[in-house]
Amino acid sequence: MVTKEQIKHLGWLARIELSDAELDLYTSQIVGIVKYLDKLDTIPLEKVEPIAVKKKITDLRPDEAAEFDGDPLGTKYRKDGFVKGPRMT
Amino acid sequence: MALYTLGAGQVAAGIKNREFSAEEYVYQIFERIEKVEPKVNALVTVNKQAIDRARIIDKKIRDGEQAGLLAGVALSVKDNISTKGVKTTCASRMLEGYVPPYDATVIKRLHNAGAIIIGKANLDEFAMGSTTEFSRHGITRNPWDINRVPGGSSGGSAASVAALECAASLGSDTGGSVRCPASFCSVVGVKPTYGLISRYGLVSYANSLEQIGPIGRTVSDVVSVLNVIAGADEDDHTTADDSHAYSLHGRKGLRIGLVREFIEGADPSVGKVIHKAVDTLTGQGCSCEESSIPSLQYALASYYTIATAEASSNLARYDNVRYGFDMSPEGYEWNSYFVKARSNFGEEVKRRIIVGSYVLSSGYYGKYYLKAQQVRSVLKRELKALFKKYDVLIGPTMPILPFKIGEKIDDPLKMYLIDIDTVVANLTGMPAMSVPAGFANGLPVGLQIMADEFQEQTMLDAAHLYEQAAKVQRNPEL
Repeated sequence: MVTKEQIKHLGWLARIELSDAELDLYTSQIVGIVKYLDKLDTIPLEKVEPIAVKKKITDLRPDEAAEFDGDPLGTKYRKDGFVKGPRMT
Repeated sequence: MALYTLGAGQVAAGIKNREFSAEEYVYQIFERIEKVEPKVNALVTVNKQAIDRARIIDKKIRDGEQAGLLAGVALSVKDNISTKGVKTTCASRMLEGYVPPYDATVIKRLHNAGAIIIGKANLDEFAMGSTTEFSRHGITRNPWDINRVPGGSSGGSAASVAALECAASLGSDTGGSVRCPASFCSVVGVKPTYGLISRYGLVSYANSLEQIGPIGRTVSDVVSVLNVIAGADEDDHTTADDSHAYSLHGRKGLRIGLVREFIEGADPSVGKVIHKAVDTLTGQGCSCEESSIPSLQYALASYYTIATAEASSNLARYDNVRYGFDMSPEGYEWNSYFVKARSNFGEEVKRRIIVGSYVLSSGYYGKYYLKAQQVRSVLKRELKALFKKYDVLIGPTMPILPFKIGEKIDDPLKMYLIDIDTVVANLTGMPAMSVPAGFANGLPVGLQIMADEFQEQTMLDAAHLYEQAAKVQRNPEL
């Protein structure tokens, strides 16, 4: 059973802050959604391989640097050729 | 003549033969947009550079140069596909004002073929939804009844095509997001085989499931677009070198399987239209019998496990540091900045990120994600067996008729359940499309046609055969 504490913790891990009202609403909705996903417990899956992409590593293009035409960044917060982020502590 | 009513092929031919100019055509498209947008709200950005592009096409034609397969044809593009110099917001506050520094591969290919992007189309935020109600830019309305939803998540794409604001559009389909709005708006929409079209420049939501796909008013229109955008791309290594020049054949004698589970779950008014479509196809010399996908009942649980898991991972990148909306990092600590920035995600996106984080949690991986990936193998095996017997599988695209705006928005599970007929194509990577089947109570019903991997030509043959025989195509009054 999904609990309010679990949702709050998952919210923190995903860096999504939930108000008390959102927490109540999401908990009740996600209880229903997860209950539906539990349907996966009812299908026999022994000896079934999970689906996989058949590409080989040799199918990848050569790992060569290429020039990017234009400015790849979309932020104005920069200093001395670096992007400015929030402080670490 | 109302040039905005023309299909892609007619526009390209008319401009090449100098019956009218691309500039004249684009002006008419803009007039049409101005007239119908207040009612439909399909476009989030109108691309004013379109006129300059039209003039370039006209000059090429005057100078006797090659102008491309889609010379002058106006397309809208879902606002989760990157367009250099034109805002790409994913209908989210998180990307408000974001202008990509590059074009998606599909956009490059469209430009090289002479197509003109007239605007960016509305969607559910980050393509998560089935109604286009979860958008930062407001709700898109169904051109057939503006009190009803157009379907989603490519609702703006399908509505703009139905409302004659463009000749065709590009959407993206993760669990039905091209086919659902195509069905609800009575237009044609294709979800190609996984790997047929490059996803480079498509903003990722669930990348093992999604494909870009064309939407048009006729099968001919989607074929014209498909021929330009399909094919291997070195910027997306999941693409396959397996595209063909698709064409319109009047191929008869197709072996058709009507999927029992699709019909049984459908509203009776929808089922009636589909049974009539079966009669039309058998009248054209096709054989049709009932078939079954036994594990279909597990498809939605598998789909929502994988889609939310991949979404929670893909959307982790939105920290607003390298790109995003304007918010200074000054005065913030690392975590508090991210939490504040990410509060700009909307309700449905937050919900899916949390569900995805839950199914990927330690101890739950084997219970949900692994099983969901196994279910994909089971479904693929079942479909492969059916395609030994049948050329195509059919059923309704959507189990219900377009419903009233707001009707399901408060119940996410109820909303998810309407994707029951579409997700199987994404889980198995197989191609599927929606073609207008007819109307029930004055509202559109879509016929879904599925084929084996890379058998798009067979799927298009069936769609073209039905389209020519049933003659459903018409335009809504707006």
